[in-house]
Amino acid sequence: MKIRTLRYFIKEGFINSYRNKLMSLASVLIVVTSLIIFGVFVLISLNAQHNIGIWKEQPQLQAFCYQEIDDIQVRRVEEIIKADERILSYEKVTREQALERMRERLGKDAAILDGYGADIFPVSFIIRLKDVSYSSEVVKDLEKVTGIEKVSYSQDTVELITRMSHWFSLGCSVMIIVFLVASVFIIANTIKLTVFARRREISIMKYIGATDWFIRWPFVVEGVIISITGAILAFIVSAYGYKAVVDKFTQDAFFAQTNLLSMLSIESVWSRLAVYYAVIAVVVGAAGSFVSMRRYLKV
Amino acid sequence: MVELRNVSKTYANGTVALRDINLRLDKGEFVFLVGPSGSGKSTLVKLLLKEEDATEGEVYVNGYDVTSMTRQEIPYLRRSLGVVFQDFRLLPNKTVYENVAFAMIITEALPKEIRRQVPMALALVGLSRKANMYPHQLSGGEQQRVALARALVNNPALLIADEPTGNLDPETSWEIMKLLSEINHRGTTVIVATHEKSIVDAMKKRVVAISKGVIVRDQEKGLYRDEDKNTPVLY
Repeated sequence: MKIRTLRYFIKEGFINSYRNKLMSLASVLIVVTSLIIFGVFVLISLNAQHNIGIWKEQPQLQAFCYQEIDDIQVRRVEEIIKADERILSYEKVTREQALERMRERLGKDAAILDGYGADIFPVSFIIRLKDVSYSSEVVKDLEKVTGIEKVSYSQDTVELITRMSHWFSLGCSVMIIVFLVASVFIIANTIKLTVFARRREISIMKYIGATDWFIRWPFVVEGVIISITGAILAFIVSAYGYKAVVDKFTQDAFFAQTNLLSMLSIESVWSRLAVYYAVIAVVVGAAGSFVSMRRYLKV
Repeated sequence: MVELRNVSKTYANGTVALRDINLRLDKGEFVFLVGPSGSGKSTLVKLLLKEEDATEGEVYVNGYDVTSMTRQEIPYLRRSLGVVFQDFRLLPNKTVYENVAFAMIITEALPKEIRRQVPMALALVGLSRKANMYPHQLSGGEQQRVALARALVNNPALLIADEPTGNLDPETSWEIMKLLSEINHRGTTVIVATHEKSIVDAMKKRVVAISKGVIVRDQEKGLYRDEDKNTPVLY
């Protein structure tokens, strides 16, 4: 294909979509809607993975000793943990360290700890297991050890989130497929209208020797113009929307203090989002055109 | 140039449009294809353009074996010939110049070539001054001349005109026919399907008469009707 012919196709594609303003607009909107839903899904699952990753790296178990026990008893507990073959490694958190961590967490509110000594905190052990599957039995065994008050167990949360994000993905995938198929057919319908409007022109082109593809390309371009426009709008909306959510999130005192959840910044996700949108837009737009041509453009 | 060998055409609904047609046109000829409506002359034109396929027989146009040609080859056959229709078939939203240039754009011609050829074609049909007008601003005769310019702009060896004067008044019809004749003098083979009796009779060209799907007469310097049959000639 020659450059000037390509230019002709693009020009004709723009003319087509402009002549057919209202339907083009409707198609753009449906593409925007589908892509935003897709974008929300992508952003949520990216963040879920991000958090699951963080949790998985975090201590899987933390065993807290009774606050009153003395160093000798603590050492006895430590011996037991050290001897356990299911445990990969452990880290002892002294009373002083515990105090220091709490100060860090409280940040500017740390003053409330003034006047208290480290002795109000218990000694604890952060334990990493060789394998996640040992976790429930290890917890059971540790809870029986004299000197250990309780064992906190973040595995439940990880599992819950994993499961939730699995079901969430499934639900979203179904919705995305429905919307994308709808987009394809609405674009196809828009192009059908253009084809009908240009029926006479197409037949004249055939008489003077235009090849099938010469006639078809402007319609493909029209479909892609519609979907790319939709993608650009969807990108703007979802990028700004996400940024707003992240801003609100970081201002939330609860999440800021507990570090329970964190969100990816817009800078780290926008390029991925843009690539997804662009690819989907081109595929959906071209697919719409082809559906339409198969049905209505028997050149 | 054009050859039909034992060509028959039966439409899907059973209508027999052409029956065992044998016809040969040499380079540089001017041929009138005459006959009443429904005689099969439009079908014959459609076979030459491969708008319809012959049920039997072989069709050759401009060196193309039309009968065995694939769909992908059809555009190239059509580019090798110029076609003019009764209803002009111009693009309403393009100017005269653009309409003519369009026939070159689809062949992916060089812009330089387009700028050279289009004014020449317009000059040939005498419409240079109306290049920037739209079809609806022109008279019927002028529109047909634009269609002619478009048909000629790619320098085809063969020009097919299907009822080119069907929508025009007698005087304008004459102008178009003179133009066709002039084009023929420049070396282009011309086929004109018509039932414009007075023109056919006056021009004294080869006449192929079709009736009920059969060639009933093929005569050099012929008339619309065969005089031996004593049909009155009205002017």
